[in-house]
Amino acid sequence: MKDIFVSSSPHIHSPEDTPWIMRQVVYALIPGALIGVYFFGIPAITVIAVSVVSCVIIEALWQKLTKKDITVTDGSAALTGLLLAMNLPSGSPWWLVVLGSLVAIVIGKQVYGGLGNNPFNPALVARVFLLISFPVHMTTWPQPRSFFSLSADTVTGATPLGALKTAIFEHGTITAAPHLNLMDPFLGNVGGSLGEISALALILGGIYLIIRKIINWHIPIFYIGTVALITGIFWLMDPNTFADPAFHLISGGLMLGAFFMATDMVTSPITNKGKIIFAIGCGVITVVIRFWGGYPEGVSFAILIMNALVPLINKATKPGKFGAV
Amino acid sequence: MKEIIRLTVVLTCVCMVAGFALSYVNAATKEARAYQDRLELLGALNMVLPEHDNEADKDTVDISGITYYLAKKDGNINGVAFKTSTEKGYSGLIEVIVGVDISGQIHAIGILSQKETPGLGSKIDEDWFKDQYKGKTLEGANWAVKKDNGDFEQISGATISPRAVTGAIKEGLTGYEQNKMQILGGSDVVQ
Amino acid sequence: MSFSKEFIKGIWRENPVFILVLGMCPVLAVTTSAANGLAMGLAATFVLLCSNMVIAVIRSIVPDRVRIPVFIVVIASFVTVVDLVMSGYFRSLHHSLGLFIPLIVVNCIILGRAEAFASKNSIFLSIADGLGMGAGFTLALVILGSIRELFGNGSIFSYQLLGSGYEPILVMILPPGAFLTLGILTGVFAAIEKK
Repeated sequence: MKDIFVSSSPHIHSPEDTPWIMRQVVYALIPGALIGVYFFGIPAITVIAVSVVSCVIIEALWQKLTKKDITVTDGSAALTGLLLAMNLPSGSPWWLVVLGSLVAIVIGKQVYGGLGNNPFNPALVARVFLLISFPVHMTTWPQPRSFFSLSADTVTGATPLGALKTAIFEHGTITAAPHLNLMDPFLGNVGGSLGEISALALILGGIYLIIRKIINWHIPIFYIGTVALITGIFWLMDPNTFADPAFHLISGGLMLGAFFMATDMVTSPITNKGKIIFAIGCGVITVVIRFWGGYPEGVSFAILIMNALVPLINKATKPGKFGAV
Repeated sequence: MKEIIRLTVVLTCVCMVAGFALSYVNAATKEARAYQDRLELLGALNMVLPEHDNEADKDTVDISGITYYLAKKDGNINGVAFKTSTEKGYSGLIEVIVGVDISGQIHAIGILSQKETPGLGSKIDEDWFKDQYKGKTLEGANWAVKKDNGDFEQISGATISPRAVTGAIKEGLTGYEQNKMQILGGSDVVQ
Repeated sequence: MSFSKEFIKGIWRENPVFILVLGMCPVLAVTTSAANGLAMGLAATFVLLCSNMVIAVIRSIVPDRVRIPVFIVVIASFVTVVDLVMSGYFRSLHHSLGLFIPLIVVNCIILGRAEAFASKNSIFLSIADGLGMGAGFTLALVILGSIRELFGNGSIFSYQLLGSGYEPILVMILPPGAFLTLGILTGVFAAIEKK
């Protein structure tokens, strides 16, 4: 069972594999989620619990309503719930999380025919829906503090990328942005979505998935590599306007996106060549949005846009009849 | 050959009938449209100017491309309104009308047109936002939003639109102050 | 072929929006509120009715080879009439519908009905067809506008329904909300039709 390598052809969708794969992904997400809980406290636990539970319930209800087999035990709805929670600010009110779950499960997944047929990553569909609908809630970032410091007030502030964008808007350079110790976003001591703050925890989870062969390395490496390359070139040209690549790699949602969202086997290309094209596309769009877009962060939009291109990429990279890769 | 003549004749006739019909409708609605245009302008002027008894849309001074509308009470100027606009909003042009009294203190402002994000930037058209400019002068206020250490509220989730509006009003006020003598004096000459 | 049959088909069985999926540009763009949807629907119905009537009358004298330009001239004239009248008498509506009034000219429903129906049928049936298609179009726009306004602004026809504690789902009155709502409604229509 462990040798099943789902993302390369020929694919076999055999239902008994799904729960095992979903469990592995959940294991891989645990370090990132724990860091979120450590820095954001009880509200983070609430968001995760509400999101997972409502995704599962909504999927079961929908399948009952449409008289389909109820497949919530495959764990995919729970995983979507966990991923959604990790893409939300820890201070999100419960109704926001439930609405997000509804969008993820119904609009992101079930209307296309359920698991395996959805063109877009359901958790990202929900995140973008919420971001556009409730910009105030979705950009109110509680600042991290230790789980054990139980002060009542939560301080909110900007994410590192948000601070950067504001500085450029106001002063035209990034020198006015608060200086960031790179160790903080690496370990998770920054503002941001619940599960995106610690690059280290996410990389560990990603490596686990690669070792377990749930995902292969092409998408994360090419995605992160593309972002590093482009931000590097611009940083060398003008370090006053463009932040350095290290900053771009470990802040924002890049690690979460590259290891866990872009690699979603349903919504990414089949062949390795296709995966590389897909990953480079994600990287370019992410950087373009971060540099010149209206939003400080572009990972969600980048992955969704490239999701839409997956059928074309698959068509263009379809292997030949025999012997071709 | 006969065919082409028939095509030409039919098409020409149809176009001519349509053309005449349209010119008739155009003429018939011309007055109503001009009246609506004027109502719009008057509505905006009444919103931002102090109480006046003249026809402010007809009492104007044009200086460097900007029209200044004068409000008069018993023959004396008691306010001036002018339009100012900015491209620095989140999406497209924001047009603002500003009414000041003769000392340059803002009486009221109005948003004439904007295409900011509904529910976010579009809040620049809400009263609480517009009212904060009342009573401010060019010299007596720090013309920036609070986030940039100025005097004016921003809108949570949308800083760009209030920043743009504040900048546009400042620019308009600057133009007014520079040409104040000409604007206020100019009308006396007309009289 | 009867008057009532031609009228009813436009509302349900051949609904221009949900079944024929025609004229999507105004459907998606102006349905940010129920009132806008209604106004757009009525404007398009007026143009549709008038152009159907005129085209049914002149169909026998218009040679086939120039019929499309003739239809367009007729349609564009009526659209201009609507534009001028609205600008003169309904200014605030004219502002909120803006560019989409002149764009009625290129609304596929109108040229589509002219070509597919009015150029082949009597004036009597063409009136029924125009009214029915117009009513179906208007109905669809009002439903779409109401749903989007309800979720995106908490109100229908500017009448506040969901209370002040409701936090509007902004995306519903932005372009993506139009696509989502249209998709869901088209699905619902198809599901009902199937039964």
